[in-house]
Amino acid sequence: MIIQRSDEVPDITLLKRFPVPRNFGVSAGSRIGKGRTWPAPGGAARIRRFDVYRYDPDSDGNPRIDTFHVDLDDCGPMVLDALIWIKNRIDPSLTFRRSCREGVCGSCAMNIDGTNWLACTRFISDLATPATIYPLANMSIIKDLVADLTHLFAQHRLVEPWLRSRTSAPERERLQSPDERHRLDGLYECIMCFCCTSGCPSHWWNGDRFLGPAVLLQANRWLTDSRDEATGERLDDLEDPFRLYRCHTILNCTRTCPKGLNPGKAIADIKKMLIERRG
Amino acid sequence: MTRTQMRSALGKAVGLGSARDGVENWLLERVSAVALIPLTLWFTVSTVMHAGDDYATVMAWLRRPVTTTLMALLLMALFHHTALGLQVIIEDYVHSRMKVLLLVGMRLGCLAMAVTGLVATLKIAFGA
Amino acid sequence: MPSTPTDRPRPLSPNIQIYRPQLTSVLSIANRMTGVALAAYAVALVAWLVSAAAGPAAYTTVQSLIGSWLGRLLLLGCTFCFFLHLCGGIRHLAWDAGYGFSLRAIYASGWTAVAMSMTLTALTWVVGIVLAGHGQ
Ligand code: SF4
Ligand code: SF4
Ligand code: FES
Repeated sequence: MIIQRSDEVPDITLLKRFPVPRNFGVSAGSRIGKGRTWPAPGGAARIRRFDVYRYDPDSDGNPRIDTFHVDLDDCGPMVLDALIWIKNRIDPSLTFRRSCREGVCGSCAMNIDGTNWLACTRFISDLATPATIYPLANMSIIKDLVADLTHLFAQHRLVEPWLRSRTSAPERERLQSPDERHRLDGLYECIMCFCCTSGCPSHWWNGDRFLGPAVLLQANRWLTDSRDEATGERLDDLEDPFRLYRCHTILNCTRTCPKGLNPGKAIADIKKMLIERRG
Repeated sequence: MTRTQMRSALGKAVGLGSARDGVENWLLERVSAVALIPLTLWFTVSTVMHAGDDYATVMAWLRRPVTTTLMALLLMALFHHTALGLQVIIEDYVHSRMKVLLLVGMRLGCLAMAVTGLVATLKIAFGA
Repeated sequence: MPSTPTDRPRPLSPNIQIYRPQLTSVLSIANRMTGVALAAYAVALVAWLVSAAAGPAAYTTVQSLIGSWLGRLLLLGCTFCFFLHLCGGIRHLAWDAGYGFSLRAIYASGWTAVAMSMTLTALTWVVGIVLAGHGQ
């Protein structure tokens, strides 16, 4: 099956998950236990089952999977609507991030049916039965679906995502030709949802040092900016077996980006720049 | 709380800083890959052509100067590529002190294999 | 301060245990596994060369090992690993040169690599078996 756009949900999947043990490499505190099954709402005609990852930092318990039944006739069309419905009607303690509910803030990124996406732009009708909702993969979990993004934003800060210029500030704005501006297309639209980084196997195994696709796409955004004058230093800081070269062009990032961006290509472009400046 | 836990998030992300290295290995892995495309295809086609042949015929083929040259190139490119590939795999998955040992062992192993293969190839070419 | 549950280390959300296998990740790990297998086969190649250099007796022993059922099965595996790694490698070289990054191209080239490696394996063996038959 040929996927053409990242928003396509595959309807045939040979393997639902990799054939590894459920607790493969999982520390004791991260093991997922059996959770609670909440009864289906009475009198509902169309019901959908949601299996949702829960973690309560204020108890001693491990993470668990709770099962909810959502009344589709009482709920909006998106996964985020279902989560809000659960929070309003069933369990007010269900915790998740959301803000814009239209795919521009990046808050509601989570693992939906095994791939990362924004809850506000995934239709409930596209879900598997039962639907499985996990937080972004491979994240330290604060509560339920809320992941700790501190390290990822620190990695973002590391690439100095701002204009670095030695030319003194002009009277008015720093100019850019339309062509130079167009080169930023496909880079500036990133909403830092970290769907890509959290879906990157290389970041799972070496996330402490590998910067991951979201941050490297941003690094490329500043390398590409015609007004920036620190390209050389930026490349110096990226040229590292782990920071950059842990990317093995797996391309899970490009497959999953909910904004249809291409972090894999952005990273390949950085590698090409590093080759180019050698010879 | 221990000191390490109080290090700032940026400090942790920076770690030991950039090694300013990595292009070389990356490039050599690609160069050896490109070299291996014709070499491995030549080897595959040749072995298929000699399927079912007896010792004398195979030796006659191995003794030809072209075969010796290509076989030597194949062995060098093959084990160079193998070493670079295995290095990446070890770095990916091994995070203990074993890493250095494995890397050194793997390098030596690849080198030993390449040299052994070369010596055998030359012995066939020039041997009695 | 009393120890509160929040002092516990935070759990790590599952990664490979739940992330859906996709052509992207499956072919990547396949390229890696075939690479490791081919490293082992490279050692076998050296062993074969050494046996050929050692003389007809050693060579015949090794040939009979290769000719056994297990030997042939391993050789078939070697052929497939080689072609999958070759096709996957060519895909990677194209990406490294900056081509084939659209999702459509990623999927089309991925399935092509799978189909090509199976076809080439079959072709190699059919030709090999026919030629071996002629030789005897
Ligand atoms: S292409 Fe690179 S960054 Fe993207 S998923 Fe693969 S390894 Fe990760
Ligand atoms: S590249 Fe896409 S998936 Fe990655 S952080 Fe940006 S918007 Fe999200
Ligand atoms: S709520 Fe803003 S992206 Fe989903």
